[in-house]
Amino acid sequence: MRRVHGRGCAMKPACTRQSDSRRLLRQVLYRWFSWWEVLFIGAQLMVLAFSPSSYRKEPRATVLQQIYLAAGPSLPGFTILMAIFNVVVIRIMVVTAFAYGLSSFALQAIVRVLVLELIPLVAALYVAINYSVPGASEIYATEWHSRAAGAVRHPLSYEVLPRVIASVFAVLLLAAVSCIVSLLLAYVAIYGFTLAGAPAYNRAVGHIFDPAVTLIFVLKTGLFALSVAVLPVANALRHFASTASRTRVELRGLMQMFSLLFLIEIASLVGNYQ
Amino acid sequence: MAEEDETQDDEAPAVTVLSGRARRGVEFRAILLLLFMAAVLLGSALYLMGARGAFEVTQPLYLLTDDSEGVVVGMDMTFSGFPVGRVSKIDLVGSGEVQIRVDVPVKDAHWLRTSSVYTLERGLVGAARLRAFTGLPDDPPLPDGARRPLLRGDVSEEIPRMVTDARDVLQNIEQLTSRRSDLRQTLQRINVLSGQLASADPESGGLLGALTGNPEDARQISATLGKLNELVTHLDAVVLAVHQQVLGPGGVASEAQAATRELQALLRDVRAAVARLDRILDDGEAVSGNLRTATDGLDDLRGDVQDSLDKVDGMVTELRGKWPFAPSKKEITLP
Repeated sequence: MRRVHGRGCAMKPACTRQSDSRRLLRQVLYRWFSWWEVLFIGAQLMVLAFSPSSYRKEPRATVLQQIYLAAGPSLPGFTILMAIFNVVVIRIMVVTAFAYGLSSFALQAIVRVLVLELIPLVAALYVAINYSVPGASEIYATEWHSRAAGAVRHPLSYEVLPRVIASVFAVLLLAAVSCIVSLLLAYVAIYGFTLAGAPAYNRAVGHIFDPAVTLIFVLKTGLFALSVAVLPVANALRHFASTASRTRVELRGLMQMFSLLFLIEIASLVGNYQ
Repeated sequence: MAEEDETQDDEAPAVTVLSGRARRGVEFRAILLLLFMAAVLLGSALYLMGARGAFEVTQPLYLLTDDSEGVVVGMDMTFSGFPVGRVSKIDLVGSGEVQIRVDVPVKDAHWLRTSSVYTLERGLVGAARLRAFTGLPDDPPLPDGARRPLLRGDVSEEIPRMVTDARDVLQNIEQLTSRRSDLRQTLQRINVLSGQLASADPESGGLLGALTGNPEDARQISATLGKLNELVTHLDAVVLAVHQQVLGPGGVASEAQAATRELQALLRDVRAAVARLDRILDDGEAVSGNLRTATDGLDDLRGDVQDSLDKVDGMVTELRGKWPFAPSKKEITLP
């Protein structure tokens, strides 16, 4: 198509401008349509996720297997990595806050920066890179080869849904465990190995997690998990009929996922600190 | 589309098939993970509810003020730095007053008494602080649902007054330091004076010249001082001569001492003469006493004579009254 346009409008600037505007319009429509397709596939997956038939004996076994594969092996490593990262950040923040006489704000800063913002984002990215994007790529390759061999399959319920559920679960589990570890490390960093600071610490944490902040935190983490779980898989499903390479499908899914994560993060920041 | 030009060159992935036992093991671990996840979420929710005081038994305290700026739902009310309550509701009541509901945990309510005072403090930086003060800890405890006024201490409200004061001070300073100000003129004069004092020129007159304002007068004063100095020298010689005249050998002082000694001897003689005079006076007094006694005897004698004469007078009068002896002249001449 591009070759045909180029040959017809080689020496005509007006024709070139027209072709450029058409190309731009076509790209915008394509992007819009791709997001619509992703949204539609996501909606289908949500319907399937809340359907009892998805949890009968055979599908349930697959779901459990994927849940373990997504969260089980990653949990210790991710928790240790995040603990080390937390110790470094907490130490920096506590020392800085004490140096400027703002020790009462140290806990607030730690909880808001680490627990509310960084840990859910890092957990989502970790699960995306470690599980959901490779899983989507695997689904895409399997389906493409099946179609090339002439077999028509419907992987949505028996192959895609377990991976989506497992991704959501993994993000929530890793984020929750790392948040708890971070809160414990923050307590030790500020008060040391004593229970004397527990009442003040509990009160401060309760003060930070007011209903609005808690709601935004839960919504954000849930949307992160859904984005990480659905977008790579939806992109893979969307390209079954095309001849796109596996890498291209992965990159497109990653780009869409990063965009959505970015938007969710901005929305949560606006909600928390408006 | 661009993707249509590309080809799928990936290999088909190898499908992992688990045996029945391994699959059951994976499922068991997955269930454990699900249970762990449920426990984590439930525990977190309970912890947050507890941290926010959802399980505490509280009693309400209503604080009334005319401005609740800086007060937010969820902020703590502190007593001696310890949180003893949490703001749970803020609303307008009555005639536009702000009513702040503070939920005080029952276990901390004993710190608050009927005489406790509640303040809302807003600094230039940082959040507002709600504080309680209890001056008399033996007062009755705060009743449930008590309504108390909230006193406000706002630093920012003082700023306009401070700015006005500062402007006045700056204007005063400007007036003081202006070119026509008294202080500046005084300083200029002091400067001239100090320059004159520090001047090495003898014609300027130094301090005297600065005081008189005229070098000629300063020189006259200086000459006068020189003459005074000479006069003092002369007076010194005079005083020395007078000293020798008065206190020297044969001087006035020694003669005065001799005169004093003679005067003392004279006084002794006078004292002896006075003693003799005392004795004479004593004798005179004795004579006077005798004379007084004699005078008393004369009085008695005169009384007797008077009586006799009275009797004679009576008898003559009686004879005269008897005829023919009655004389024609009835006068009697006393002796």
